[in-house]
Amino acid sequence: MASSVSSQQDQVLVEAISSARILTLNRPKQLNAQTIQMISPLLELFLAFEKDPNVKLVILKGKGRAFSVGGDVAAVVRDIRADDWRVGANFFMKVYTLNYLMATYSKLQVSILNGIVMGGGAGASLHGRFCVATENTIFAMPETALGLFPDVAASYFLSRLPGFFGEYVGLTGSRLDGAEMLACGLATHFVPSVKLPMLEAALCDVDSSDPVIISSIIDQYCEQPSLKEQSVYNRLDVIDRCFSQKTVEEILSALEREVVHQMDGWISATIQTLKKASPTSLKISLRSIREGRLQGVGACLVRDYRMVCHVLQGELSKDFYEGCRAILLDKDKNPKWEPSKLELIADSTVDCYFSKVNNEEWEDLKLPTRAKFNLPPYAIAKL
Amino acid sequence: MDRAFQRAKILTNHLLQSSPSSPAQTPALSSNACLNYSPPELSENYAFDINEMRKLIDGHHVEERDWLFGLIRQSKVFNPRVSGGRVFMSPNYNQSMEQQREMTWKRIVYLQERGVFKGWLTEKEEEVEMRKFACFEVLGIFDHSISIKLGVHFFLWSGAIQFFGTKHHHDKWLRDTENFLIKGCFAMTELGHGSNVRSIETVTTYDSNTGEFVINTPSESAQKYWIGGAAKHATHTIVFSQLNINGTNQGVHAFIAQIRDADGNICPNIRIADCGHKIGLNGVDNGRIWFDNVRVPRENLLNSVADVSPDGKYLSSIKDPDQRFAAFLAPLTAGRVNIAVTAVYQSKVGLAIAIRYALTRRAFSLKPNEPEVLLLDYPSHQRRLLPLLAKTYAMSFAANYLKMLYVKRTPQSSKTIHVVSSSFKATFTWNNMQILQECREACGGQGLKTENRIGQLKGEYDVQSTFEGDNNILMQQVSKALLAEYVAAQKRNKAFQSLGLEHMNKPYPVIPSQLASTTLRCSQFQMDALCLRERDLLNRFVADVSQYQAKGESKAHAFIMSYQLAEDLGRAFSDRAIFQTFVEAEATLASGSLKDVLGKLRSLYALICLEDVAFLRYGCLSVDNAATVRREITKICSELRPHALALVSSFGIPDAFLSPIAFNWIDANSWSSAQH
Repeated sequence: MASSVSSQQDQVLVEAISSARILTLNRPKQLNAQTIQMISPLLELFLAFEKDPNVKLVILKGKGRAFSVGGDVAAVVRDIRADDWRVGANFFMKVYTLNYLMATYSKLQVSILNGIVMGGGAGASLHGRFCVATENTIFAMPETALGLFPDVAASYFLSRLPGFFGEYVGLTGSRLDGAEMLACGLATHFVPSVKLPMLEAALCDVDSSDPVIISSIIDQYCEQPSLKEQSVYNRLDVIDRCFSQKTVEEILSALEREVVHQMDGWISATIQTLKKASPTSLKISLRSIREGRLQGVGACLVRDYRMVCHVLQGELSKDFYEGCRAILLDKDKNPKWEPSKLELIADSTVDCYFSKVNNEEWEDLKLPTRAKFNLPPYAIAKL
Repeated sequence: MDRAFQRAKILTNHLLQSSPSSPAQTPALSSNACLNYSPPELSENYAFDINEMRKLIDGHHVEERDWLFGLIRQSKVFNPRVSGGRVFMSPNYNQSMEQQREMTWKRIVYLQERGVFKGWLTEKEEEVEMRKFACFEVLGIFDHSISIKLGVHFFLWSGAIQFFGTKHHHDKWLRDTENFLIKGCFAMTELGHGSNVRSIETVTTYDSNTGEFVINTPSESAQKYWIGGAAKHATHTIVFSQLNINGTNQGVHAFIAQIRDADGNICPNIRIADCGHKIGLNGVDNGRIWFDNVRVPRENLLNSVADVSPDGKYLSSIKDPDQRFAAFLAPLTAGRVNIAVTAVYQSKVGLAIAIRYALTRRAFSLKPNEPEVLLLDYPSHQRRLLPLLAKTYAMSFAANYLKMLYVKRTPQSSKTIHVVSSSFKATFTWNNMQILQECREACGGQGLKTENRIGQLKGEYDVQSTFEGDNNILMQQVSKALLAEYVAAQKRNKAFQSLGLEHMNKPYPVIPSQLASTTLRCSQFQMDALCLRERDLLNRFVADVSQYQAKGESKAHAFIMSYQLAEDLGRAFSDRAIFQTFVEAEATLASGSLKDVLGKLRSLYALICLEDVAFLRYGCLSVDNAATVRREITKICSELRPHALALVSSFGIPDAFLSPIAFNWIDANSWSSAQH
């Protein structure tokens, strides 16, 4: 019964098995970095599946050792240099629309995170109903090191993690493994990778769109992973004390106070990571996560779109371009941030990232109107 | 019989999914559309930018507020509870009084560790004072107890030290207070004396041999009563006491006394008893204190207005005991401002819940087989809730004005601050109780559930009408102040220059004999009408009082006898002063959708003020015009109906601080929810 759609240079593979559809992100050499050629078919497929009464379940996975490392920002930056920033904005608009579709999807999405999942990869999975982590999962939101910020409505799911773990993960880009994702609630299940083929087969077999049934099927392949002793998740007390502070500056000084009390490699490393990240990115990311705590996915995406347009436009800061140069293109790993220090960034500048873009043709992100009355409760709860 | 049949049919329609065309169809086992919860966001539109509206009504420190909401939302000590797939933050009021007190304290420690109170006492800028108000507004939304515990510590105890104390008191106490090394309370009220502080019985003498003051509770009625913090946590207290120097009573003075040691043991010569369980605020440890020859060092007299020399001589720069006493009450103003503005936010909680519920709950169909009608689509339900919404918006602007007036205080503005804060405190807290009661009833039985907050808030906030100035007495003081202003202006034959009475200098405003809709919605007319009532009542009050005085009654007695006019006048002053702040806030906006909706709210607020019976009683409004006003009110209500959701969303209260009936109340009450 399996069939493959070979359009769009096969960046997304589609298999139909009874009422399930398996979508495989197919750019393994680029760790499934997302391009417009991947996002556009995904959007179309998700919309089509929702309308198709024969489809009950969508399984999303990645080919190779990554689920997806997120947006192919190097390509975006190249495009922007060749053309103008609005080309990039268009890409993000599509990405965010896909995120919204997933967050409000009336059918079930099961994402299998058997490998690296970062940035936009997280956006394409965590908003769906079920996320299965494995022992191969490596999750991170590394944007602040790139001069960007955790977008794709990460401010929604990060801010809902226990305590201030979300602020920590979003600001430091700290990597989490599958066990940690499950513990903090980013993943809904943990299945050892050897059992994935069996899980997929079982999901294709079940022919149900009842989340309780699907969840119990996944449960049958689950294992309870143990957190490694050094896990950051065991440091929640320190994370809560420090990352609950009002400003990035205060977070840093709280961390520095902790080091004085006890010499601790992990805290020192955290301080170093924060000091290496773009100061502007840190400030706007913190504010974004804090605002996200009180907003729905839709509002988070509208805000993300405003912010990303400001970032791409480069009038307030060019850190994103500098970060891409230093990390992805020249790879000297030595970005020169501007402004270079937290204290040089005025609150009013931070405010600007959250305001509309001052450009005649620019508009706020318009999210598609979602079916009003047949939304399942869990999807409504997310709004 | 027909009616019974129709009722039965409606009920059947609830249970079975039948359509008029195919009544014989076998009922499907899915739920009927009218029993499906549909979030109001899906059917209601926002005609204006709710973030802009929130900035306007919160007025300041929006980001700071959200940070604090986030701190609470992310912490287990603030008792998160899941219902219908959502998290709600509210204290567990089912805990014992002891447990609630411990939780209040733990929450304070949590916030303190995260720097919420940083700079509250050690920095002096206006910004810090406004930030403090914003934090209290947020904390009050979570729970009154935490707000009161902090209010006692930061406004009363610290306020007394800041205002009555001098530099060495500031240096010695403030930093430790900010860090909670000291936990302060404020012992003013006694069993026998509340509002009449000047007659308290606690007495203090000076022993020049040891250089100590000796504080005594001479009788049972002199026991300190309702002292927040005293029953459990406080280590120190401000003691209000008569100061008796060599047999001469110098009036009420304030002292610092330690009541517990660092380990929480009660100090010698101090007796403390609990005030017991209350109708609300059980997270506050109110206590009673007796002083048995408690000795405190001479420096513990808060000596900004008066001092006693080491050899026991009484020294004061203010010779007039009346003025000296007035100076002592100054720190109460900050607390009073805080009470007034906090009350507004409880009204916001109540209205946000009741209006969201009214946008999702249906009752009765108008015709058979039609869906039932949304509560808020009934004009009567609009008439119950929307005027209260207008009142709450009016109070928001007035509260922002009051905060600014307080923060930018000068010696010249102290009288205005006293009058305005008294009037607003009384009006807002009374309004709040009225609003919460109406919201409670508007939610029907659901309003009774503690988890739905509104009913509980009534108990928690009821105390606001009597503490830190009994509302009735505060309003009498307002009228007294207006009277004094009148008499002063007449005596000096000068124009009115303060308390917003400048309108008295102009000719009498004229109310048209036939009021048209356009006139009723004109802010100038609205202002004229409110001024007219105030002016008329002030004239009548002055005449009434002088008539009594002409008969040989004392001024005090004349005042007591004219209480009815005094009450009406107090309300007239408040309504007019509040309205003025609304007009001023509206004037700052460029025309647009925001200004349009505020214009409607302003008109609605003005017209419900005009509905006050005083307008008819004193002939400010004809019977015909009163009827016109009433008709216009229902019209504005229906115009505001489409904005109802946007208007409560603009309050900026995070979902977690509302309650299950504000969201999917079917999920929240489902069988599966009951199994957890």
